[in-house]
Amino acid sequence: MSALTGPDVLSAAERSAVEALVFPLADDEFVIAERYTEWQVRAPTLESDLALANVAQDEFGHARLWYDVVADLGYDEPELLFEREPDEFYHASLCALPFDAGDWADAVVRSYLYDTAEALRLGSLAGSAYAPIANRIERITTEEEYHREHATTWIERLCVDAEGRQTVQNAVDRLYPYALALFEPGTPEQTDAIESLNLRTESLPSLREQWIETTSTFFESIDVSVPVVEPLPEDPGRHDSHVEAWLSLYEEFTRTYRELDRAHTPTITSEHNDG
Amino acid sequence: MIWEVFRQDEPGGYHTHCGNVHAPDQELALLFAEIQHARRKPTNSLWVVPQEEIASQTDEDDRFGGTTDKTYRWVSAYNVDVEFAQEIEDSDREQRSAAGDSA
Repeated sequence: MSALTGPDVLSAAERSAVEALVFPLADDEFVIAERYTEWQVRAPTLESDLALANVAQDEFGHARLWYDVVADLGYDEPELLFEREPDEFYHASLCALPFDAGDWADAVVRSYLYDTAEALRLGSLAGSAYAPIANRIERITTEEEYHREHATTWIERLCVDAEGRQTVQNAVDRLYPYALALFEPGTPEQTDAIESLNLRTESLPSLREQWIETTSTFFESIDVSVPVVEPLPEDPGRHDSHVEAWLSLYEEFTRTYRELDRAHTPTITSEHNDG
Repeated sequence: MIWEVFRQDEPGGYHTHCGNVHAPDQELALLFAEIQHARRKPTNSLWVVPQEEIASQTDEDDRFGGTTDKTYRWVSAYNVDVEFAQEIEDSDREQRSAAGDSA
């Protein structure tokens, strides 16, 4: 049973702990979805194109669910996305790294690393003391299963010959350290607040350990080695520096908003809620 | 490799052909079919079948039903006697009213 039923019962401190937890989640989903859409009409086959577009669409939907949690605390959509400064986004850099042209292994390895972390993270939020967080988990988790199945199936297919396995290995070498940054905490004060309020029921280091275990086992089973991961990259994202390519991605998804001189975001559907 | 996709709307219904997907194997064929043919329509179950495993023939290869007149197989070929039809209608009415009485 969640002790904190909704935005109205939150103290100022609880509110900022909820924000510190939810912004990185929402930003991860939004930014990785933005990147995935670059594959549209460029994936190896029509079918894989549609499958990845579907994954992207799911992640946009999840981003919407998370942004709605903070919207209920008084933010509007321009503040959440189109007018927020690029250095106030808190995604991990794994989500923002650009794809090399035609590097399909990167797309499926990235999806595997991200969605495996996502599954663990969602598990740690199912029992959240803040009801609007806890009641979203089941809906999101169901869609995530397809993502992992899609990614692992592809990776296994790519690894049937040496050339394909090498493309997977290259992607793992490049992406693994960035993926670890998914488990980077915010400030110590934020982490203390999130954990003492039971907004998340497991610590990030514990999730990280499980993630390393799961992903290493999978990659070993297909003869792909997992790189040594310390130290983290210099631009891991979250509260640290973002990768350089994040700026151009940010410019791109805010361009229409700026060019049309918008000050708000009209929607065609009725009010989103946390139903 | 092409896989033909069959979708069933609800339990007990027929699996109806709804298109195909390109995929190297069964597992990927199902993953792709799920997105292409089951995402936006009510779906209880999906089948994927390798296109090459489907045998087919057409009316040109083989005149289905033969070439002699077999219209006697069709109810529409029969002359329905008007009085006879009246008899059935009367009987139906009796049964309906009997059912109504007992209710």
